[in-house]
Amino acid sequence: MPMQNEGSSAKVITEERESKPVGLARAFKRPTATTGLVGWLTTVDHKKIGIMYGVAALFFLIVGGIEALLIRMQLAVPNSELISAQLYNELFTMHGTTMIFLAVMPLGAAFFNYIIPLQIGARDVAFPRLNAFSLWTFLAGGIFINTGWILNMLPAIDKAVPKIGWFGYANLTSAEFSGIGTDFWVFGLQILGIASIVAALNFIVTIINMRAPGMTMMRVPLFSWMVLVTSFLIILAFPAITIALACLMMDRLFGTGFYEPVFGGQPILWQHLFWIFGHPEVYILILPAMGIVSEALPTFSRKPLFGYAIIVFSGVIIGVLGFAVWAHHMFTTGLSTIAKTAFALATMAIAVPTGVKIFNWIGTIWGGQIRFTTPMIFALGFIWMFMIGGFSGIMHAAAPADGQQHDTYFVVAHFHYVLIGGSLFALFTGMYYWIPKVSGKMFSEKLGKWVFWTMFAGFNITFFPQHFLGLGGMPRRTYQYDADMGLNTWNMVSTIGAFILGIGILLFFYHLVMMLRKGAPSGNDPWDGRTLEWSISSPPPEYNFAAVPMVTSRDEYWARKMIPEKKKLIENEKPEKSIHMPSPSWFPMIVSIGILIGAYGMAFLKSGYSFVGLGTLFWPIVGLLIITAGIYGWAFEGPGGYHLHPEEEEGSGGYRKKEPSDKSK
Amino acid sequence: MFSSSSTTRKIAWLTGLPLLLLLLSGCSGYDPMAWLRDAPQSTFDAKGPVAEQQLQLFYVTLWVTAFIFVTVGSVLAYATFRFRQRPGDADKPPPAQTHGHPIVEISLIAAAVLLLVIIAVPTVRAIYDIYELPDDEDMLVIDVTAYQWWWAFEYPEEGVTTANEIAIPVGRKVKFNLRTFDVIHSFWVPKLGGKIDMIPNRDNWLWLQADEPGQFWGQCAEFCGESHANMKFRVFAYEEDQFQEWLEHQRSDAVDPEEELAVEGKERFQGRGCLACHTIQGHDAMGLAGPDLTHFGSRVTLGAGMVENTEENLVRWLRDPDGFKPGNLMALDQNVQNLTDEDIAALTAYLKSLQ
Repeated sequence: MPMQNEGSSAKVITEERESKPVGLARAFKRPTATTGLVGWLTTVDHKKIGIMYGVAALFFLIVGGIEALLIRMQLAVPNSELISAQLYNELFTMHGTTMIFLAVMPLGAAFFNYIIPLQIGARDVAFPRLNAFSLWTFLAGGIFINTGWILNMLPAIDKAVPKIGWFGYANLTSAEFSGIGTDFWVFGLQILGIASIVAALNFIVTIINMRAPGMTMMRVPLFSWMVLVTSFLIILAFPAITIALACLMMDRLFGTGFYEPVFGGQPILWQHLFWIFGHPEVYILILPAMGIVSEALPTFSRKPLFGYAIIVFSGVIIGVLGFAVWAHHMFTTGLSTIAKTAFALATMAIAVPTGVKIFNWIGTIWGGQIRFTTPMIFALGFIWMFMIGGFSGIMHAAAPADGQQHDTYFVVAHFHYVLIGGSLFALFTGMYYWIPKVSGKMFSEKLGKWVFWTMFAGFNITFFPQHFLGLGGMPRRTYQYDADMGLNTWNMVSTIGAFILGIGILLFFYHLVMMLRKGAPSGNDPWDGRTLEWSISSPPPEYNFAAVPMVTSRDEYWARKMIPEKKKLIENEKPEKSIHMPSPSWFPMIVSIGILIGAYGMAFLKSGYSFVGLGTLFWPIVGLLIITAGIYGWAFEGPGGYHLHPEEEEGSGGYRKKEPSDKSK
Repeated sequence: MFSSSSTTRKIAWLTGLPLLLLLLSGCSGYDPMAWLRDAPQSTFDAKGPVAEQQLQLFYVTLWVTAFIFVTVGSVLAYATFRFRQRPGDADKPPPAQTHGHPIVEISLIAAAVLLLVIIAVPTVRAIYDIYELPDDEDMLVIDVTAYQWWWAFEYPEEGVTTANEIAIPVGRKVKFNLRTFDVIHSFWVPKLGGKIDMIPNRDNWLWLQADEPGQFWGQCAEFCGESHANMKFRVFAYEEDQFQEWLEHQRSDAVDPEEELAVEGKERFQGRGCLACHTIQGHDAMGLAGPDLTHFGSRVTLGAGMVENTEENLVRWLRDPDGFKPGNLMALDQNVQNLTDEDIAALTAYLKSLQ
């Protein structure tokens, strides 16, 4: 909570609430609405921000999924003419970029936002307005990087969609070999990087500083622990790609030669910088997933996590080692034998802490009472699929064998097992596990199982055959393959599987809508949960905890339910009379809009298009001015605040404050 | 909860069915994986020492990880089944809240490390066998230069220049010097060995050897732009004497066309400006932007390994290079766009005559 004289700020806000903004000069008067459109646009509530992250991520999951289905349609038969080479290259570039940066990462961020403060007994994140800024900047990046699809429809602009692969290897990205699409990709990733780094800093400070009293680091729930590790990975890994992208931008716009062979530049430099970011990025995608599974397995086995400490340290070790294995993406670039040996062994070493997690998950369910709820079967499915993805990862670590596998469909199969079978299945675990908390509604188990088995079948039918395709000699990123390459049957099977997977995900959306519209009330604790988020109402009140809990053990809520002495703790915790809440603000979004405008200006700088001031420094300067003004406004408006009074609302449903914003979900 | 009898039946099916299929395939001689060896770019059909060592290493990783998968998977499956909640469990007190077991945990870590060592040892050995240049005076050197989207091959010692199709001698080690001047490509002949990238400003190389005669497919494995999928090549492994014959033929100048249409084609090749980009040794064509066509007629493929080198395909190629191979340089050329049907017929006859 912001440290300040709460009384006076509350008074200020009260005055503001009475005065109505008039005219442009007062348009950015501190907003007070907590409902309606303005309420959502100006919110600093981590729960609303989490929901918006989730909705945006699911939207981009559909976008990336459609791109994937188009790719699979093209590959269903050999020498297909359905999609042109150029469109195909655009599709796989945008599919990868979208799924990684706009679907899986933000879906994880949705849980970071919504769940972390609830798990650690906090009332919000450390920097609520900065949190809103992360959301709007992420959305700006998502819109920006997809702009090309719309621009391509205009007759004046051609090739506005990047077609360089999600890895953007230099020097195919140079001004000589690629067009404005690459600029959209460069600035789009920079924007998304800002959003990620800011969010990561916010979560590090939140998890370290805002834990409830008594919650020592070794009592922090595993999901929160993994988010802490992930956040450190983000702030250490993203600068590498930020620098790589800055150099690329300079090459493209200002004629430097970092990656330009004719100027003595080194295209290989890009690969090192990219994978120093790119490999930790894999763990950025998988560690939160492991965290989610480590929450669901104990709950549905009615046992604590087996080997909590060793799972935490494994996560940390994976995070550290994750920075020491990047060159295993580059085994075919002509590294020295020493480098190959070192990176091969380091990569094998990282399998150990990963294996430890799997052993301990099995240890967790061993001796338990396993309830096969939808989140639980997704978690179990995760373990199976992640094992397969992990094993093909070990195969890649054998550098000479990787010489055959690299850049084939074997690799495509491998990382989809890790990212769909791993990350996405875990995120579905998380959605089924926590959405009853978020919405206060319960879903139908029957349909949930249909969703799981359709996705599980579709996923395996799609990607298992791709192991064979890759070893059978099918390179990645090829828009056609010959009929006589022996690859026809399994490509067709893979395409059929992709559509089954698509139906599974469609079914999930239907299930989600049904749950939100017709679900029975979930109650505070539908799963017999173990961590603090289950101790409060569903959905939680704006201030989360009417009384900040005093934490005495690892699975605090479980302990309170099971151990009689601890039950008394609850009685001693009296709701606070008056809880200080941070005020909403327009400025985070204004700064993000400034970034968006500036980025458009920069992308068009050397494009040769010169309408509405594009192609000049006009729009970048406008963007910069908006950013500057926004930051000033942000600084001078102060944290603000108002007070809520839990006890007064007790009559209307326990500690739960009625949230009219439920309607707009 | 399902009843125990139906559960048993399910388990019987789940384990029995794959076993039954395996048994059936074994008895009938039907090999469902045969296609995987027969595929022209299959990594399971190693035809040289490099590919063979890589395949053996792959099998080591496969068996070790399969062993772990079966072991860990069985325990996971057993635990999932054995510790499922049974009717009435919900009313009983919760299971023992055990937090871990240090000895079990540490021994599992030790087992994992041990299994990884089984993979690590042959890995390191293979790295040094494959990625160090063997000391061999007999080694043939071929300079490969990759372009968007075709391959130039030079035999510096033998004085041979060709494109998209090469020959190597059986049983001799070949060092490929891998160069590129545009973007990154990757040189890959799956049946002979794994790929090595070609990166601007970087001198990469790769050694391979074919142990038996044959035709091996190769393909660019690093995304290199619009027609990346259409950047292929062929390697022919010949016995030594046949290889020497091939070299001799490649060194010779292009044959003079005799057929009337082909003679006409030779003139048009010059008149339409084809010579600005292509070399035809002995026919006053010395362009370097496109593939060397001196012995084009003797090649089995067209368009960098894309299709069979037939008259019909050649006509299609000349008529619409961009439709054939999207983004390629030839499609941008005004002269090519203005080719008439007569031009194409004559050029086809000429090019096919370049045996």
